[in-house]
Amino acid sequence: MQTRKIAMSFREKTAWISMLSMLGIYGIYFWSVVQAGPHAGGFHFGGLLATVVALVIVQVAVTIVVAIFSPREASAPRDERDKLIELRAIRVAYAGLATSVALACFFGAFTPPIVFNTNALLFILVTAEIMRSACQVIQYRRGA
Amino acid sequence: MGVIRNEIRRLRFEHGEMTQQELAEKIGVTRQTVNAIELGKYSPSLEAAFRISVVFGKPLEQVFHYSAD
Repeated sequence: MQTRKIAMSFREKTAWISMLSMLGIYGIYFWSVVQAGPHAGGFHFGGLLATVVALVIVQVAVTIVVAIFSPREASAPRDERDKLIELRAIRVAYAGLATSVALACFFGAFTPPIVFNTNALLFILVTAEIMRSACQVIQYRRGA
Repeated sequence: MGVIRNEIRRLRFEHGEMTQQELAEKIGVTRQTVNAIELGKYSPSLEAAFRISVVFGKPLEQVFHYSAD
């Protein structure tokens, strides 16, 4: 097998954008939750809303910039390899999500504050999404 | 686990030095997917394999080779 390097496709770039933006923006949100402590009161709804809005703005803006530089690839539909890579990534992310939810259900019984539990579930969901993007990036880098 | 090898790189050059991008457009995949197939990192679907063999006007077994070792 040869080891020639494969250039980054538009789909791989969007996977990187998704992974890095979620790591950065949700990282700030969860850092603020941890700093506030589990008994801070309230669900940080304003903070979460700002986080989601910031995430959407960053992802859309960066994706548009990338698409401007490769318009042909950006307008092309996903091919069979892109779909296979996405399916594999979803399988890994689902396994992580299911395991994490099961653990959260178990440990949730010992952590009464609903505020902490809601953020824990959100953390699990975000982690699963990051896992999905990370798996896509890894497979694209390997050539899969 | 068997290994699938292919002659795509050689066949591209025999067909007027066809680029990966040109082949990709003919078979409806991205250039990166053609590259991954050529390098043996990705095994295409049967349909994509047939499309490739049609582009080169060769039977499938002259484009792809399977060895069981």
